[in-house]
Amino acid sequence: MKLTPQVLELNWEATAERIKQFIKDYIEKVSANGVVLGISGGVDSSTAAAISALALGGDKVLGLIMPEEETYNPKDIEDAKLIAEKFGFKTETVDISKILKAFYSSIPAFNPEEKISKGNIKARTRMICIYYYANTQKRVVVGSSDKSETMMGYFTKWGDIAADISPLMDLYKTQVRKLALHIGVPKEIAMKPSTPALWPGHLAEEELGIKYEILDLILYGLERFMPPEKIAEQLGLSVETVNKIKERWVANEHKRRMPLTVKLQYRTVGADFRIPRTK
Amino acid sequence: MNQLKVALAQMTCIKADKNKNINKMRTFAEKARKEKAKLVVFPELSLTDYVVRDLLYELAEPVPGPSVEKIAEIAKENKLYMVFGMPEKSEKAESVIYNTAVLVGPRGYIGKYRKMYLPTHSVFEEKRYFRPGYETPVFETELGKIGLIICYDVFFPEVSRALKLKGAQIIICISASPAVRRNFFETLTAARAIENNTFVIYVNLVGIEEGLQFWGGSRIISPSGSIIKKAKYNEEDFVVGEIDLDDIKHIAAFVPTIRDLRPEIYQKLKDMAEAL
Repeated sequence: MKLTPQVLELNWEATAERIKQFIKDYIEKVSANGVVLGISGGVDSSTAAAISALALGGDKVLGLIMPEEETYNPKDIEDAKLIAEKFGFKTETVDISKILKAFYSSIPAFNPEEKISKGNIKARTRMICIYYYANTQKRVVVGSSDKSETMMGYFTKWGDIAADISPLMDLYKTQVRKLALHIGVPKEIAMKPSTPALWPGHLAEEELGIKYEILDLILYGLERFMPPEKIAEQLGLSVETVNKIKERWVANEHKRRMPLTVKLQYRTVGADFRIPRTK
Repeated sequence: MNQLKVALAQMTCIKADKNKNINKMRTFAEKARKEKAKLVVFPELSLTDYVVRDLLYELAEPVPGPSVEKIAEIAKENKLYMVFGMPEKSEKAESVIYNTAVLVGPRGYIGKYRKMYLPTHSVFEEKRYFRPGYETPVFETELGKIGLIICYDVFFPEVSRALKLKGAQIIICISASPAVRRNFFETLTAARAIENNTFVIYVNLVGIEEGLQFWGGSRIISPSGSIIKKAKYNEEDFVVGEIDLDDIKHIAAFVPTIRDLRPEIYQKLKDMAEAL
């Protein structure tokens, strides 16, 4: 197997169709009124919202724009609104600044220097707002997480990852960009540098220390059980770089699972209780 | 009678609801009768749906048993042969379940086949629940000699070959294959037909379960590998196609794979497989 950008090519029409059917089928099975999701103006949430609207019709989709003072970016808000307009769904703006300030001032141990912990409060606050709309309007929460970030554990546990369905989670970031272009997301949004926006100037590739074009090929190789030495050789990287990615992927499994419990009884939630999903 | 119409009931199944699935089967059977089909085939585990996990312990029934009787009744009413899939509970031991294909006909229950190859890799977890079967029965019916296989069995040519060596003219493969594996099944079902000079009737599940999209694409394949009739991809469908068992004779002279069998290779294969 040769790790070239071609291996990440999919039939985008068929992929879009599969994802649309998946969303539609789920919403019908659970008899929901529609979906709700946070939209940041970035590629992942724009694509998740756009494909939801294509699957269900825009009237079934609600996008929540949730800015806060520290990372306020009018361009991102403009982009989120542009996607909503283009794909015909409604948005609502929830300014979370006051909620965040209440958290910061209420937590005795709060330390503004702990920027990841502080940023996680932002992601979890957004999750709370999204689920409020889901509960009160009987909507399903659509997650925007992609495969690159999920494998790397590059998300906030119980925060931006929290959702009922995550239709893009089996697509690497560079694949989400291609799908975005295919379904008509404007190029400047599809190719926009990714940011979790947990602090000002926060850029995913800078924090991860690698370009998505390379990361996705490393992850693709790891997914297919390729030894790190072989991946490194093919991509002209050091084995250390590939091993670091591999270690990070494995170490973050705890973020992708139900909470671990001690086995005490006959069948245990998250372990050997294997019940099919009916809703 | 060498010509017969076969109906492919490519249905979406209701999870863990045997009565609703039997009612769906009834509707398809009535449709098959109206279209003068003599045989109607349903997907793997069509009585319960495919992904039912731990619910299998409560859903499994003996074969024959209550659900088989109900479906046999539908077959009798419609003067049809019917093949469907269900979890079979052993009557001899507790918590022993088979993934079984059942054949019923106008005079009731005929027989069963227990899946021999249970996929337990990727998203599949069949060995967790099922015991594999050990028999490859061929049923002599007024329609012809029928052998049954289930889904992943199609990857193992020896199962279909065993059926052929027992005289099967029609191999029915019931299936629950997700979309990422479509190419494999489209190739292998045709291969089993060609290499054995038999008709292959493949009926796959449709619908989305646990993120898996079952792709449908059910088909009747002639002994030369051509598709006689094909159902739609990814949606519930019902199609009827006609087969003529005389075609087997014509193709067997043209592609004489059974005449050319080399029995001595089987002992060698056994030795090599054991030494793997």
